Amino acid sequence: MLYDLILLILFTGLPWYPLLRRKRSVKREHIFLLSALSVLIGLLLSSLTGDIVREPFVALALLFSLFVLYSTLKTNNLYKLGTQILFFNAPLLLLVEPHARLLYGVSLLLSLAGIYMMAKYYERVYSSANYYSVTGITLVTPYAALFLTIYFTALALYPPFPNAIFFLEGILHATVDPLWYLVTIVIFFGNFLIAVRVMARTVFGKPNPNIHYIDVTPKERRLHLLILIIFIALSLKGLQEVLA
Amino acid sequence: MSLQKHLDAVKDSVPHYWPIGTFIHHNPLKGFEHLNFKEGLEQAQKIFGGKVYMEPAYYLSLYNEGKIAPKHLEENLKYMLDKTDYAAYVQEAKKFILDISPKWESLRNYETLKVTSLDESLVRYLTEHSIYNDHDAWLASLCKHMTLYEVHDAIFGTSEKELIEKDTIEFLSRFLDQQQTTLSMQDRDLGMFKTFQLYEDIDYVTDAESYVHEVLEELKVRDPQSYFLTHLLKLHGWAGYIKYRSGDKDYYPQRVHPSTLMDYMAIRLHFERKYMHKEEINNFDKLDAYMRENRSYAILKLLQSKGKLTGTYNDALEDKKDFDQILSDYISEQISLDALRIQQVKEALPELARALPKFCEFITFLKREEGFLWLKSLEDTYIHEHVEAFTQSHTYDEKPFSATLFCLDVRSEVIRRNIEASGPHKTYGIGGFLGIPISFVPFDKSHQLNLSPAFIKPHNLVFEVPVEPHEEYNRKKKFSKTVKKVLTDLKNNPYTPYILVESIGWLFAVKLFGKTFFPKRTEMLFKKFEPVKPKTSYTLDKLEPEEVTNYLKKLYHDIIKEVLVTQSDRVYSDEDIDALYEHLIFGEPLHVKISQSMLDELIYAYHITPEDYEEQKEKLMKVGFTLEEQLTYFENLLKTIGLVKDFPRFVIITGHGSVSDNNPFESALDCGACGGNVSLPNARSHCMIGNKPEIRTMLRERGIDIPDETHFLPALHNTTTDEVTFYDKEQLDHEALQQLKSVEEDFKKAAHLSRMERLSVLPNADNEEDIFLKTMDWSEPRPEWGLARNMGVFAGPRESIRHLKFENRLFLHSYDADIDTDDAEILTRIFNGPLVVGEWINLEHYFSVVDNAIYGAGSKVYHNIVSKVGVYNGNYSDLKIGLPTQSVLLEGKAYHEPVRLLTYMEAPLEKVGKAVENSSAKEFILNEWIRPVIIDKEARKVYSYEYGDFKVIKEF
Repeated sequence: MLYDLILLILFTGLPWYPLLRRKRSVKREHIFLLSALSVLIGLLLSSLTGDIVREPFVALALLFSLFVLYSTLKTNNLYKLGTQILFFNAPLLLLVEPHARLLYGVSLLLSLAGIYMMAKYYERVYSSANYYSVTGITLVTPYAALFLTIYFTALALYPPFPNAIFFLEGILHATVDPLWYLVTIVIFFGNFLIAVRVMARTVFGKPNPNIHYIDVTPKERRLHLLILIIFIALSLKGLQEVLA
Repeated sequence: MSLQKHLDAVKDSVPHYWPIGTFIHHNPLKGFEHLNFKEGLEQAQKIFGGKVYMEPAYYLSLYNEGKIAPKHLEENLKYMLDKTDYAAYVQEAKKFILDISPKWESLRNYETLKVTSLDESLVRYLTEHSIYNDHDAWLASLCKHMTLYEVHDAIFGTSEKELIEKDTIEFLSRFLDQQQTTLSMQDRDLGMFKTFQLYEDIDYVTDAESYVHEVLEELKVRDPQSYFLTHLLKLHGWAGYIKYRSGDKDYYPQRVHPSTLMDYMAIRLHFERKYMHKEEINNFDKLDAYMRENRSYAILKLLQSKGKLTGTYNDALEDKKDFDQILSDYISEQISLDALRIQQVKEALPELARALPKFCEFITFLKREEGFLWLKSLEDTYIHEHVEAFTQSHTYDEKPFSATLFCLDVRSEVIRRNIEASGPHKTYGIGGFLGIPISFVPFDKSHQLNLSPAFIKPHNLVFEVPVEPHEEYNRKKKFSKTVKKVLTDLKNNPYTPYILVESIGWLFAVKLFGKTFFPKRTEMLFKKFEPVKPKTSYTLDKLEPEEVTNYLKKLYHDIIKEVLVTQSDRVYSDEDIDALYEHLIFGEPLHVKISQSMLDELIYAYHITPEDYEEQKEKLMKVGFTLEEQLTYFENLLKTIGLVKDFPRFVIITGHGSVSDNNPFESALDCGACGGNVSLPNARSHCMIGNKPEIRTMLRERGIDIPDETHFLPALHNTTTDEVTFYDKEQLDHEALQQLKSVEEDFKKAAHLSRMERLSVLPNADNEEDIFLKTMDWSEPRPEWGLARNMGVFAGPRESIRHLKFENRLFLHSYDADIDTDDAEILTRIFNGPLVVGEWINLEHYFSVVDNAIYGAGSKVYHNIVSKVGVYNGNYSDLKIGLPTQSVLLEGKAYHEPVRLLTYMEAPLEKVGKAVENSSAKEFILNEWIRPVIIDKEARKVYSYEYGDFKVIKEF
């Protein structure tokens, strides 16, 4: 029971996140890092104990997840969005068995590490991680558009990215019951909708003539490349496991 | 003032849009031609937004390449500054234009702002002079040209615009459809608004104008005229098409499915009311009240919707902080950034000793004027280079063996030069319709093509008729038509595609893979199945009234007979049919026994009525030309180009056309002076007239003596491959055919040289073979460069420019001022036709490259054909006007060099003045939408018309 409760707190950010997000004194970036740390601790803890989480906790996480999904519609800030994506996926992390949880969680954190770096880049170039006015980057900053597309495509659970593979593996090995259906549907479509909404706004469309666009630096590109290499490694591992 | 008058007052702000099947190049800012070019562009920019000149960096690169001479830049700068207090600062202004302006945007830098202390007097000056002081005016300027739903969307985050525009486009594309769909909208003959009433279930009697009045009242619109303009601008492509249709009563789709701009307005406003009805704030009174109460928030949301807020402010808006404070911070930041920029410019120009506020005024002035300054300097550089070359004397005394008339189109320039270089040949240039506007009905088609500039309505109808047996052709044609129709029906039917794909879908793979991987072989394979067109002739002579009557009688007799045979059990004699004809057409008493239903069938289904008879009669009376008309047109042709003596053995009159595959813009590559059609029929018509002995006799009486051995021969110039194909060769005797062979050989050589020359500028073409492949490659977005890079027109004797290479950049019109009348009738004709077309082509290219998003058609990659009238992006958007990016850009950069049409006329100043005065082009000439340059060889002076006056730019 205590274990379930701790995981719920770590994966959903309940109750600290709903309180903290209203505090204007706390920076969005710090909340994002704190959330990532929280989920990471949760993953480590669950991999040590290896227990399944009880259904009422999953259901509670699902309710919170729906609230988070609604919140994602209200923000265009990549830090805030990153935090919400993390907590939105909580029901799946709680639903699946520990091994799949660890792998899906790592993939999720890795995608969000990429989003975090893109948020940093937006902040540096456009004064904030808010992408609302930074439209149509594909035509003007192709590298930034490429990386953002990869991260959001992974988050939208498109194969062959590891998120999709571990999502599949996780749900295949979980117990199928009504809650399973609900979680699977909400997480699958929710991730897709969040990712598409961001991409439609900032990746596609016409560039904003009021903005002076600058692409990611070569140093940043190397870091993104590193993430992509880990992505590939995880995808291969995922494929291996699914085939096994 | 009635609503119709309000609408009429603003409708010309949107350009005409002609259907894409006969693409007409046009000036998208035609509605502004009553203003001076510079002023017109300023007005248009206020309405459409976007750009009207290229970016400073573009002109700077031309300057660095030497295409803009420093001398002309300085001269123009000096002229500009002479009108201000800054006449002494030409060098400083030049430094600003060359070194600072290209970096203008980067001078407004947040990082630098953090570490720079700003001059207080400058900040005060900018604050006092900014619109931010007056929130009401600021709000009004932000809402300018925005509809109620757009403002609502911006402030409340709704998506009404998407729904309203989508519904509008869906209705328009279905109503205006020209048989692209197999499921046509019903009752379109009632007219656009009446059909819309049925479509949207508006069940009370009203007309479009009353309905518009009703909705405007409900939306509480205070200025209908301005609101009409706002709505027209939302989908200006569709609005432009409806505007064109409603103004052309002869346009067949308009006759059968009438539409007006008022109908269009009623439709748009209906959807606006429908979707806004459910919103709490659903009229302008409520909106204004809301904005008054929440002014800061409204301004911020409008700024956000226009992409003018940076991320920091977007975050603050998301956090719902104090909106007054956010706005105040925004204003302060904007003014600081503006001040920072001016301060940095001042630091870069220390020699300009003026107080910062005054300096700011000066820089603002320079920034406003620099686009026109660069443009004029670029044009002046070209003008001086050209004039220098045009005034060098060259003589060519060899007697030509052939003379070839080409369209004045820029694409004729290279082939003309190469033909002249390959043998004893002379060439002439003239507007592609050759001064003979005709409505042409091809042999195997039922519709007529207007082969004349879009603004000239042909009064003569010419039919193409076969002169040899053609049963085989008819049979094959009918078969291929039937197969095509069956396949199309099966494809478009809602149920059959599944079966179609499963059963015969694989057959299409042959074409799919063949055309993709082996385009040449596939083309050859499919050509084998194409029927060979029989030899044809034209109906050039006028029909006598008696012939018309007899023809119509026979036509109606045949129809009545066919109907009676197929639909009646009784046998009718020829007398009975004649009696029926007399009864139906002339109202004679009927003594033949026939059912009323059968009579109704003949009247209503087959239109055998007195009205139809009169219409057909009128049409037939238009067939052909009287001998006098033929003579006049032909004489005008010869005199226009100055070919009135020393006729060679062959006079070849060429039309031109382009060949490409899967290209909705194909007609944009055909002859612009023939309304986007192939101009061969005009060439053939003239040759038939010119070869008539009676015409030559009459011409002799008028002083033009064409020797008997001279033969007029039509040809077609394929502008994609530069091949020239000769027609009607069967009329030549053996000896003439032998003589023609050498001409053909020379033309082949010239075509080869032309292709080699064009290879250097054509992307994805390494050898001649690639050029031919482009005509059949269905993935080729740029089969040829078409009219891109056009920059000017020369009207004068060929000898003056024969020694020069223009790289397909000049329209070349032959003209001999010596044979023109004192009233300059010939030059006036050139102004009224070719010059207007040239200006339209030139400005279409200019604006398509300057701002393709507003005046162009965007990338071909996203285009879909809609309603067979044009293209739009994806599955719904505005009808794309202008040219696609592939026609004017290369790898994202301007390939077309935008300049106004540099119009060189080799004629005495007085004659040009008379021609301008008498011409329909007077308005745009005097308002400087072109750059007129007069080379007066009698006075040995060259004049340029600029700033409303003739200025001598060279004496020689």
